Amino acid sequence: SKSELDFITHLIEKPSYWLEWWAGRGLPSPVRPICDPRVLDRFIMEARDTETALRGCKAGCGVTGTFVVPLTNVDFVVWETKDTEEQALEVQSGMSLFGQALGAVRESVSRVAVQILIDNNKSNIHSLGQVLRSLHIQDLPLPPAPAVGDLVTRKVSSLSELLHVHTNFLRGKVRLLLTNAPACQQNST
Amino acid sequence: MTNDNLNKLLVFCVLFCAQKTSIVHGAQALETKVALLLHAEPENPKCFAEGMSDLTCFWEEDEERTGSADQYSFIYTYQNENSSECSITALPAAGGKRLYFCRLSQTQLFVPLDIRVFRDDLLIHNRSLFIELVFLLDPPANLTLTSTGTQGQLKASWLPPSLKYMGDSMMYEVSYAMAGSHIGKVEEVQASSELILRGLQSGTKYKVRIRVKLDGISYSGYWSAWTDPVLMETMPGDLDPLIVSLSLIISLVLTLLSLLVLMSHRRFLLKKIWPIIPTPESKFQGLFKVYGGDFQEWLGHSTGGLWLRPAYFYSEEFPAPLEVLSEVSLGPALPSSALPPKASEALGEEDEDEKLKRVDSALEGWRETPQEHWPMDQLRAIHQHPAPWTQSSLLESHDAYVTLNAQNHSGEELLDDILEETLPLQVLFASGRTSSESRSDLGSFQQSSGLGRLSSQSSFEYPNHTWPPKGPGYTYMAVADSGVSMDYSPMSSSKIDDIGKGVIYTNEYKNEIPAHRRPIGTPIPFAF
Repeated sequence: SKSELDFITHLIEKPSYWLEWWAGRGLPSPVRPICDPRVLDRFIMEARDTETALRGCKAGCGVTGTFVVPLTNVDFVVWETKDTEEQALEVQSGMSLFGQALGAVRESVSRVAVQILIDNNKSNIHSLGQVLRSLHIQDLPLPPAPAVGDLVTRKVSSLSELLHVHTNFLRGKVRLLLTNAPACQQNST
Repeated sequence: MTNDNLNKLLVFCVLFCAQKTSIVHGAQALETKVALLLHAEPENPKCFAEGMSDLTCFWEEDEERTGSADQYSFIYTYQNENSSECSITALPAAGGKRLYFCRLSQTQLFVPLDIRVFRDDLLIHNRSLFIELVFLLDPPANLTLTSTGTQGQLKASWLPPSLKYMGDSMMYEVSYAMAGSHIGKVEEVQASSELILRGLQSGTKYKVRIRVKLDGISYSGYWSAWTDPVLMETMPGDLDPLIVSLSLIISLVLTLLSLLVLMSHRRFLLKKIWPIIPTPESKFQGLFKVYGGDFQEWLGHSTGGLWLRPAYFYSEEFPAPLEVLSEVSLGPALPSSALPPKASEALGEEDEDEKLKRVDSALEGWRETPQEHWPMDQLRAIHQHPAPWTQSSLLESHDAYVTLNAQNHSGEELLDDILEETLPLQVLFASGRTSSESRSDLGSFQQSSGLGRLSSQSSFEYPNHTWPPKGPGYTYMAVADSGVSMDYSPMSSSKIDDIGKGVIYTNEYKNEIPAHRRPIGTPIPFAF
């Protein structure tokens, strides 16, 4: 329907739209699952661009402190043994960790250009949450529950490393979850 | 029992053979990939992933540095994990070099991997990589070309590498060229298993091959090896209707133009191809068709045709009674024998009349020239006053007048006489008198050897200078010889008073000596 098409178009072209939606502006939630891999590919490319742009940042762009980030490694053999919920849990907890970390970074940077890039990535994370929701993957409440554990997290101390891990996480686990979501398997035949 | 053993042996053999085949295939594929990476990857060790959970790393050592595999150790470490060691195998390579391989069967993606290679505790190679970024896949299988049903198109389809999760991340490069040509085109296609090649030439054999690579967003790697080329001929081309119609129109226009040129020059062409043989039939109506060329008969029977075209008569050789008056004004020194006397016989009156009528009517267009008046004046005077000729009444010039009458004189001597006639005349009239260069438009007097009916009478025969008139109806020619030229003026005795109005015509007499004598009366061939 036209409303769904508008929703998908906005999701791709204007991630800040998600913030408005999140605030509850009364738009209908998408019913049809978003299975187009190009949606996530765009998020990945923007995260990579941010990482590249801020790699040469002097003194870590003024960002100090440590950030908790999820582990990004994927062993396919192990991954395939997990069911979708477990995979979804890993993805959603990881996304929330990144959201928190980026929020903390946003507060400590002073340069406007860096702020814009960080804001973009944050909005992408929110959009991803919507995509997961469309695939009937239950959302986790923010902040993540401590039951997730440290086995799947580690600490980073620089902005560039944070962004690097963020990119790897998107390329790996998030993508695997989305491309193999049961809701998309019927469409991709 | 024996059967079971045999069956087991058979199964074992089949499996072994299959494995051997696959091993051989695998070895060939490995060799290709090694060669590819040696060319494409500058870092050492060179590593590539073929599937979801493997990694193959190798490095090359020169001959002088080669040692056993035990000398080397391959240590790899994932991020936030402990190090592990990989077992090394050595294989010989070209040029005496050696290749050392390490193969991991369980890998982690999306996480940095540190690799360190030691030789005798000496670090020789150090590298950090992401395994999902070094994929080197096998070429696509089952590349087939089919016709789409449209001209200039071919459809290429293939089987993508069977890698889970990566189907939508694969991109392909299709290379196609005309068979035998080295210049080809390349087309890229993403996440697809077929491609339609367009813009191909019709009825041409094309060579197509394909290779695969991951698109680089989530997964990346190196270009695979090219598949073996597949050949296929495109559909034969139909004639473009526009070209056909244009060529038809152009050929039509050219044909019309050539026809126009031919028609405008058809007379010229006909003359060249089929020249017209001129015939005198048009001027002698009925001469050939009715009388078979017998001119004498034709003359006797044809009436209307002659009178209608008087202008042509001047060139025609009609025999006609002719009386040429000759006057001798020289002395007695002239030998009389030089002038053979001609017996003149008058024609039958009926012939004369007929001929005169013909002659008279034919010469209506005849006009006198002033130069010819003086002999005629003399003759007029003679006729009006038939007095004996005296020297004083005659012209002062040595004029001679010869009468030629058509006669049925048999015998060849007449012909001889006619032929020799001009000679004595010339001798007779040799004088020193200057001539008036008046050319008679009557033409030159030429004797025809065939004129057997003509007789000549010379004034020498009448020493008394009496010229008996021949009677009415005679047409005669006055010859005035000025010593240099001879003027001939036709005259008619019956119409001498009307000489200006009379119709007298002149003939052209050819002074030709025939090879054989013609008998009198035979048709005279006329030469035009």
